[in-house]
Amino acid sequence: MPIEVAGLNKRFGNIQAVADLDFTVSPGRITGFLGPNGAGKTTTLRILLGLVHATSGTATIGGRRYQDIEHPLRRVGALLESTSFHPFRRARDHLRMCAIAAAIETARVDEVLELVGLKDAAHRRAGGYSLGMRQRLGLATALLGDPSVLILDEPANGLDPQGIAWLREFLRYLAGQGHTVLVSSHLLAEMAQTVDDVVIIAGGRVRAAGPLSSLLSQIHSSMRVRTPEADRLLGVLAAAHWVCRRLAHDLVVVEGVTPDQLGPVLARSQIIVYELVNESTDLESVFLSLTGPQTPSTPGVAGP
Amino acid sequence: MIRGIRSELFKLRTSPGPWVVLGAALLFTALGIIVVFLVNHPGFGGRHHVSFVAPTSVYRLRRLLGAGFAVGGVWMAAIVGVLCVTGEYRHKVMTTSLLVEPRRWRLLAAKAVASLIWGLGIAVASLLLVGAMGIPLLKTQGGSVSALFNQAGAVLPGFFAAFALLALFGAGLGTLMKNQIAAVVTILAITFIVEPVFDGIFPNVGRWLPFAASAAVAGGLTPAAERVYLLSWWLAAIVLAGWGLVPIVVGYFTTFKQDVT
Repeated sequence: MPIEVAGLNKRFGNIQAVADLDFTVSPGRITGFLGPNGAGKTTTLRILLGLVHATSGTATIGGRRYQDIEHPLRRVGALLESTSFHPFRRARDHLRMCAIAAAIETARVDEVLELVGLKDAAHRRAGGYSLGMRQRLGLATALLGDPSVLILDEPANGLDPQGIAWLREFLRYLAGQGHTVLVSSHLLAEMAQTVDDVVIIAGGRVRAAGPLSSLLSQIHSSMRVRTPEADRLLGVLAAAHWVCRRLAHDLVVVEGVTPDQLGPVLARSQIIVYELVNESTDLESVFLSLTGPQTPSTPGVAGP
Repeated sequence: MIRGIRSELFKLRTSPGPWVVLGAALLFTALGIIVVFLVNHPGFGGRHHVSFVAPTSVYRLRRLLGAGFAVGGVWMAAIVGVLCVTGEYRHKVMTTSLLVEPRRWRLLAAKAVASLIWGLGIAVASLLLVGAMGIPLLKTQGGSVSALFNQAGAVLPGFFAAFALLALFGAGLGTLMKNQIAAVVTILAITFIVEPVFDGIFPNVGRWLPFAASAAVAGGLTPAAERVYLLSWWLAAIVLAGWGLVPIVVGYFTTFKQDVT
């Protein structure tokens, strides 16, 4: 079942949390939902799950609103926050409570507890759980109905490295089985290893959406040059109409060039170079370039 | 819907609040039993030593059957209704509940019915305590157990209905207010301040309030002289149901449908 968001808007008083949001999450792929704090990610996910009412637009799963899906826990698994447990209720009882309402066999409760590694702590009260254990219990709740769609908000939050690796492999396995997986996270390095597609939002609007590989290839690489002749280098770069930023008195970053392009220019200009680094484009730099504050990047203009 | 009600009852069963309330209701019931036995003794009040005397009058036997009601255990049913709804907000479990049952009216209806059932449960437990504690006391004092049973038909239907409908009232108050502590304080204020004031100053108004209505529903527990100030049992049952259902409907549209952020 695909997730489809079309023309989605949400206002909280004077604040436009989400503005004309459009994107699709395809089955069989893991989609990363990225954005800085306050970008509108959580609001979008909550609208998708029927917890927040959209001002306008639609957010559907398999063509239906979440609240119109019969037994939604058996179609869609969601993890939104790690504190959604009664502190005095035992973990197993929390899952049984959900299973009863969603007509899920009790045996499945024990299965998911084992799956997320909480079998031995199943009879402990959720209030005594660590953050990582709560996160595992949240994942167990999301997986309880063996859903074909997973919507996970910061699922790796609080997990140890083994847990994160397990989660990555597990999500890959589910996507391989044709499940639809939408994951929101701030751990960009982790997301880069996990996701197939990305939706990047900022200020409530989509800044980029599509396959991660395609997005990375669209961003030009850059070169970092450390030189005692930074002023002369800036002049040379300006003459070549290359975009550059001065990061320190002896450090300049040149955007959109390759070593093959920059190296001959430096040689011809006889500029002394202490360090020449090709800054490979990664998800973090893509993210920052799309969502970060606007930095001055005009030809030949010095930085600090 | 049945699954939703079962899930809500399971929630109540696996959290401590409703058990604490049940324990408090039973404590009040035990006190009620003791009071029923004590107030018959002529020496009660300090002129003689205090001792138990079997309640012999029809009214006292009825008070024994409704011991939890007599001393105030009945408003514990209202508190259970409050806990059933406001616990979702207090412990931030509303998100989980709505992910399981996103149709909010269904979730709220399940909560209302579960509250009502737990209220009935408190009434049953209270009655069992009368059996376990009151009947042996009655026997040791030479009282008539069969006379006690003969009063059951007149007392128990109203007794159960009052517990159940007050639990519904609590659920309504919880839906309307969301804040657990504020809702519990409101119930205590209605019980101990608002209703006594109205009963004293404007009895014609006071009899329409929830706890006076519950007394009218459980009419067999009230002396005939006091009953003239109360509504008829059937009208009181409608009024008490209204005290539960109206806040539930209003609360559904004003608070329960709000965004859960």
